[in-house]
Amino acid sequence: MSEPQSSLLLKKQLAELNKNPVEGFSAGLIDDNDIYRWEVLIIGPPDTLYEGGFFKAHLHFPKEYPLRPPRMKFVTEIWHPNIEKNGDVCISILHEPGDDKWGYEKASERWLPVHTVETILISVISMLADPNDESPANVDAAKEWRESYSEFKRKVAQCVRKSQEDCS
Amino acid sequence: MAEGQDEPKKITITVKTPKEKQQVEIDEDADVKKLKEVLSPKFSAEPEQLCLIFAGKILNDIDTLKQHNIKDGLTVHLVIKTPPRPEPEGATRRPPADIGATPFGLNSLGGLAGLESLGLGQSTFMDLQARMQQELLSNPDMLRQVLDNPLVQQMMNDPENMRTLITSNPQMQDLMARNPEISHMLNNPELLRQTMELARNPAMLQELMRSHDRALSNLESIPGGYNALQRMYRDIQEPMLNVASSMAGNPFSGLVDNSVDGTNPQQGAENRQPLPNPWQRGGGGGAAPAPTPGLINTPGMQSLLQQMSENPRLVQSMLSAPYTNTMLQALAADPDMASQLINQNPMFANNPQLQDQIRTMMPQMLAQLQNPEMQQMMSNPQALNALLQIQQGLEQLRSAAPTLVGNLGLGVGAAGASPAAGAPNAGGAAPPPAAPPAAPAAAPNAPPRTQQNSELFTQFMQRMMAAMSNNQTNSAQPPEQRYSQQLEQLTAMGFLNREANLQALIATFGDVNAAVERLLALGQLSMS
Repeated sequence: MSEPQSSLLLKKQLAELNKNPVEGFSAGLIDDNDIYRWEVLIIGPPDTLYEGGFFKAHLHFPKEYPLRPPRMKFVTEIWHPNIEKNGDVCISILHEPGDDKWGYEKASERWLPVHTVETILISVISMLADPNDESPANVDAAKEWRESYSEFKRKVAQCVRKSQEDCS
Repeated sequence: MAEGQDEPKKITITVKTPKEKQQVEIDEDADVKKLKEVLSPKFSAEPEQLCLIFAGKILNDIDTLKQHNIKDGLTVHLVIKTPPRPEPEGATRRPPADIGATPFGLNSLGGLAGLESLGLGQSTFMDLQARMQQELLSNPDMLRQVLDNPLVQQMMNDPENMRTLITSNPQMQDLMARNPEISHMLNNPELLRQTMELARNPAMLQELMRSHDRALSNLESIPGGYNALQRMYRDIQEPMLNVASSMAGNPFSGLVDNSVDGTNPQQGAENRQPLPNPWQRGGGGGAAPAPTPGLINTPGMQSLLQQMSENPRLVQSMLSAPYTNTMLQALAADPDMASQLINQNPMFANNPQLQDQIRTMMPQMLAQLQNPEMQQMMSNPQALNALLQIQQGLEQLRSAAPTLVGNLGLGVGAAGASPAAGAPNAGGAAPPPAAPPAAPAAAPNAPPRTQQNSELFTQFMQRMMAAMSNNQTNSAQPPEQRYSQQLEQLTAMGFLNREANLQALIATFGDVNAAVERLLALGQLSMS
């Protein structure tokens, strides 16, 4: 039985990421025997509120990858308008392909088979630096981000501290 | 095993930080700790600061490179953590020690042992500490370091030095030029020594700063409190000599300003609030009807009193703050200082008779102030409210029948004295509680002319005291118990925030209807 395309593609990406890691995150497998479940550690981007934090997230790829997007979920507690309180990342490029039935997102903004772990994580990292408050996943965080930024900052700082404790 | 082999296989790995990239050579079977040790000089950071990440995992010191499949040519992420800041730790370690350990702490204040029975001091303190631990970031620790510095200590040990230091401050010079009393004070070695004691005790200073911050933030959260703060700022923080001259009626102004310059201007500002005015009231009420009774009408004064009575917590925390006790203690221990303060007070200076009276009253007053019951009463919101009402009543009486009150003199004079002291700040809350002990104490010494009137007043005050002491059994209970029934009612009505309910009940003295109104009003405020 030959390996499916998705598995080959992911293995290639993993090898490449281990050899030439990309700025800002590190990726590996949760279980070395399961190429579909990835574990990534995002290093809080410098000059953002998340600087200094280590945020662990899991990526679950479907067998249909790259035709369908993976799901991404933060395991480390993180306070961000576009990350649900349970850690699910809400970002347009991870949404199932095709036109948004509510008409919010264009097809081009959604999942495309050209996306790799690297492009996903770069999007996520840029989202950390620059939240999109038009479609918040964590409404409370979005509200704070808009209206009481100092409180938002405080909560984020708490997450950062906590993430540091977890890692050492 | 590694040591046993002659040539352990070396691998080269790339270590990448957000800013730079370096290659290191290391034994294939080394552990992460070893790798960190190799990296530490290269990135000029302590090994403890290094955090290595590979394949989505943070590498622990005990792990080996093999375990993580780190092979030749691979790249590892490195994050250099900022060195752990000692401040927060210091701040967390310190507070628990403070209460018992400071010479000013509750335990050593023999005469004040009863304070603990209040429970207030402790609980507010814990609360305060818990919050401040989060809020305090860098300041106190730095201050402590400075004060712990042997050089500074040596300097402080030398009164002469201290004096030079204080007098070298241009503001202070100006102040002294205007108020000769203060320079007298600087020449009093005993007083200076005490001031230094205060300044040298880092724990004490820390507490002062904390209580100060807390009190301020409390003030800010009261409706209208921000305005009060502004007023306070205008009246206190701004040029110190303004304060000093406007506080001339306050026997403590000199002392406070003195300590201010030696240490931290903010503490002094806060310091004077809980303490000084009780005296002021006592003195003024005792014998010298101030010529400015109308001042009680100052909107600032009234609104402040109102705010204080609405927020008993603030008063409690102020009164239970250790510095209040310290000051009382210091005064009790040193009658000389007290009498000197009186002498220097311009208001008393031209009235030797009054001075005598105050001097005879002093021990009594001190005893009263130290009496745990008395302190308890001060922190009893009901008592405060009653006093507020009395004050207002007297004011009404004054406007309705000026001559009568003019003869009576006492109450209004006393009331007028506080604003005259130029302290339209939180200190305004302190005067009322002090009035009852002072007035009876004063009565025996009052001149015969006003004897009759003051007797009336004394009786009135005694009745009030009696009423209050009846309440004391109640007030000794924590508010949760006292208002347990009302709390239940509120919960049944659907007000689920117990803390808010309790606050509302405290503020309304247990009146459920008023508490509901208050809760609704507050809820609306927070929603808008």
